[in-house]
Amino acid sequence: MAAPCSRMANRPLWQFITNVRRTGLKHTGVRQISLSSACRAATQTRSKTEGVASPWKLYGAVCLQRLPVISQERNPIEDQFAELMHQMELERSLLSDHEQRLLEDSERMTRKQADNYDSDEEEADYGGQETITAQDQEDSWEQKLKHFQPALRDRDVGGTPLGSVERCLGDSLVLLVQQTVGKETIWLLPQAQWEAGETLRQTAERGLNSLPEADFKATFLGNTPCGVYRYKFPKEVQTECCVGAKVFFFKAFLSAGSASQKEPFLWVKKTELQGYLKPPYLEKVDRFILNL
Amino acid sequence: MNPVIRKASFALHSRVLDQAGLLFRASVSVQHPIQGSLAFSNERQYRTMPTHGIGKYKHLLPKEAPKKKKERQQMKQIKTATDAEYGTLNVKVSGYDMILVEHYSQYIHNLCNRLGVKVAESYALPTKSTEVMVMPEQGTKMYVDAILKTHERIVQLSQLNATLCPTFMEVLLKNQPEGIQLSVKLHTEADYQARFKARPELEGLMAQMT
Repeated sequence: MAAPCSRMANRPLWQFITNVRRTGLKHTGVRQISLSSACRAATQTRSKTEGVASPWKLYGAVCLQRLPVISQERNPIEDQFAELMHQMELERSLLSDHEQRLLEDSERMTRKQADNYDSDEEEADYGGQETITAQDQEDSWEQKLKHFQPALRDRDVGGTPLGSVERCLGDSLVLLVQQTVGKETIWLLPQAQWEAGETLRQTAERGLNSLPEADFKATFLGNTPCGVYRYKFPKEVQTECCVGAKVFFFKAFLSAGSASQKEPFLWVKKTELQGYLKPPYLEKVDRFILNL
Repeated sequence: MNPVIRKASFALHSRVLDQAGLLFRASVSVQHPIQGSLAFSNERQYRTMPTHGIGKYKHLLPKEAPKKKKERQQMKQIKTATDAEYGTLNVKVSGYDMILVEHYSQYIHNLCNRLGVKVAESYALPTKSTEVMVMPEQGTKMYVDAILKTHERIVQLSQLNATLCPTFMEVLLKNQPEGIQLSVKLHTEADYQARFKARPELEGLMAQMT
């Protein structure tokens, strides 16, 4: 079986090694990236030459998604079409090895039961008789299938709370947390303020790691942010050096993790985001969350 | 009397013209071997026709080098990563169901074409068969339960833009079918050499030499 193999090599160039495997919630995504020394020097010099600070506060936020675990359910039309295609393929297909074996065995049985059966001739043709016929194998396989109990598709029959990761297994979910921004506590994607000397992606990682009582292992996909949200502070808070804030979003996928149910986490589908996020924020966030 | 003389003179004139024509044509035909076209020796030459050689154009084209025999396959240069782009990446799709594996690899290839990512190569690795042996509760002899075949397809990308990468990876991950493993790695020379069959005689001779 193709096991997830993750090669980790240390080279001074850009590297992108990731291996994602769909086995329930045991996502094993290993990722390693190492900046080249030239690139790091470039970013440092850039931050030094900016003597005048911009009036915008920078935040790095992470859009953590949990990929669907099972396949989505089909529409009635998709169902019908799938059935039709299956039937067409079956009618056009040729016999497989197993089916040919079945036919040969049945022919051999009828020949054995005929009156003019010559066992020496048969054995000369086929060599030694096989002890297990294809029909026997099929019967044993059917027996095994009866013993197999597939798990339930919908584990949240009773209605799991919104904070559970195992919510809708067929869709991809986004993590929302409740944080205090300014004076109010609102639901938003986990974010942290940027400090000098680190890349925005490291800010986003820090924001994710600093969530209390949460242990999410995420795989970031790249260094480039996928979205930006810019807003100005209300007049009374505005000073000379900070007019507003810009939030840069990074995408990441959940590889492993757990969270206690007490903390205010939410795993929501894209369609449910509307109920929790503020409209201007939602507008920007909606643009980069794919509804696949 | 006059017409007879006229005929004779006319005959003389025509003979002279013919000879002159022959000389002219001979000089023209001498040039043909220099041009090096052997076909003309096989064709019938209607040299008297004014349209003789009307379709000839090869003498107007620049000289082509003679066609070389197909050279031994060399490895394509493995590109290194720059600041804005990744190097040569191998996207490996593997699984038990060949239909899903092939369709998914075709989907990745088409997606790259659409997004403008250059696909260097797209090939398949040999199928690996795994025998699943089951040991019954009574007895020690294991018997073969099933044979599972693992199919692998590789799509090699050469210049993946760093800004495009997160979106590309997300689309790939969200469209991954059930039972398919996806893996993205850097392409190395060892990967390239692994595709070739081992040549034991050659290796034996090389060992003898050293």
